[in-house]
Amino acid sequence: MENRWGKMRALMGLLLLNWLINVSSLSVTVNDVECVYEYVLYEGDSVSGNFVVVDHDIFWGSDHPGIDFTVTSPGGNTVHNLKGTSGDKFEFKAPRSGMYKFCFQNPYSTPETVSFYIHVGHIPTEHDLAKDEHLDPINVKIAELREALESVTAEQKYLKARDARHRHTNESTRKRVIGYTVGEYILLALVSALQVIYIRRLFSKSVAYNRV
Amino acid sequence: MSKGMSFFSRDRAALLLPIILVLCLTSRSNILPVADAIWLTIPSSGTKCVSEEIQNNVVVLAEYYVIDENNPDHIPTISARVTSPFGNNLHHNENATNGQFAFTTGESGNYLACFWKDGSHQQEAELTLGLDWKIGIAAKDWESVAKKEKIEGVELVLRRLQGTVEAIHGNLNYLKDREAEMREVSERTNARVAWFSIMSLGVCITVSVVQLWYLKRYFLKKKLI
Repeated sequence: MENRWGKMRALMGLLLLNWLINVSSLSVTVNDVECVYEYVLYEGDSVSGNFVVVDHDIFWGSDHPGIDFTVTSPGGNTVHNLKGTSGDKFEFKAPRSGMYKFCFQNPYSTPETVSFYIHVGHIPTEHDLAKDEHLDPINVKIAELREALESVTAEQKYLKARDARHRHTNESTRKRVIGYTVGEYILLALVSALQVIYIRRLFSKSVAYNRV
Repeated sequence: MSKGMSFFSRDRAALLLPIILVLCLTSRSNILPVADAIWLTIPSSGTKCVSEEIQNNVVVLAEYYVIDENNPDHIPTISARVTSPFGNNLHHNENATNGQFAFTTGESGNYLACFWKDGSHQQEAELTLGLDWKIGIAAKDWESVAKKEKIEGVELVLRRLQGTVEAIHGNLNYLKDREAEMREVSERTNARVAWFSIMSLGVCITVSVVQLWYLKRYFLKKKLI
């Protein structure tokens, strides 16, 4: 009974810490630099996540010029750095616990909307198992299973953000196809009408038609 | 008796847990960095907005609090507003250091939560806001499920994992439907590009034929040819 209570406490404690270290996939508008902070409780936790630049409106040019992504540890070192990308996944092992800073930097003047997802996952190691009698190897397996499911969820959020961006591109293509072709027809008719009017004027009586 | 650093040893837990709980519940802002939230910086002027595209019929649970380590007795206040994609105001709060809101989405679209500093604090440096935003399965109240189904411990953990798996399955179906819609739009655009290009050729030929016919008639009328 006592052993079970102890195990339950350990599990509840693990639950409290594990299941709360999660953030939904939020979108933020990056004008110049936008920083998001996330607290990492244990050293050695794996921090994973992804970000996608959505809602960009590039007129021509095949791909987004990209934004820069930097992760700074509480000590001030740059842990992870990505330059000029329009969306990527990242994963690293936290070298120490503390408040980590995830910064998006937009080198261009047009504001961009970035949709990001950050997840901090902790799996109890053998070191933790040795230190605490109430932790079972089953807790390790459950934590691993949970982390695997979290990585599937993270991948889904990434796919959803990329799908949103693809959808913007598709809508833009559809509008362009209709708009530009109708404009093209009107322009064509207009140009040929102007041509006819010009030729008529060349033959008008006010101008000597010997010139033609 | 277990020795070592662990938080979960009996005697330490008995001592620490109520203290941590009290700290968590009473003054979240300054003392305990809560692990389940992201921190944002609110600029001195202007608003900071975060948004998310959420489907229909999803539970959203969020909490926000101002974090200021510099002067704990004079915490700056902020105002918050949450709007639905149709523009309805879901939550509005003024002059507060913390707040929370919960709602179930009525339509699918972009939900926006905006925060800005209050008028009296415009001149100070930018402040940090902690935001805990949970939707869908993350917002589910597992204690009530545990009480209702009378499960605990490993069973509860596995029940949560089952909930996560079901959420993954639901998300996958949603992505599949979205992809099907998008594929339809793509194929329609593809067909339109083909049709409009052929039509543009047709328009070109028609217009030049009309031109030639008109000019020929004009010159015949003017007796030039």
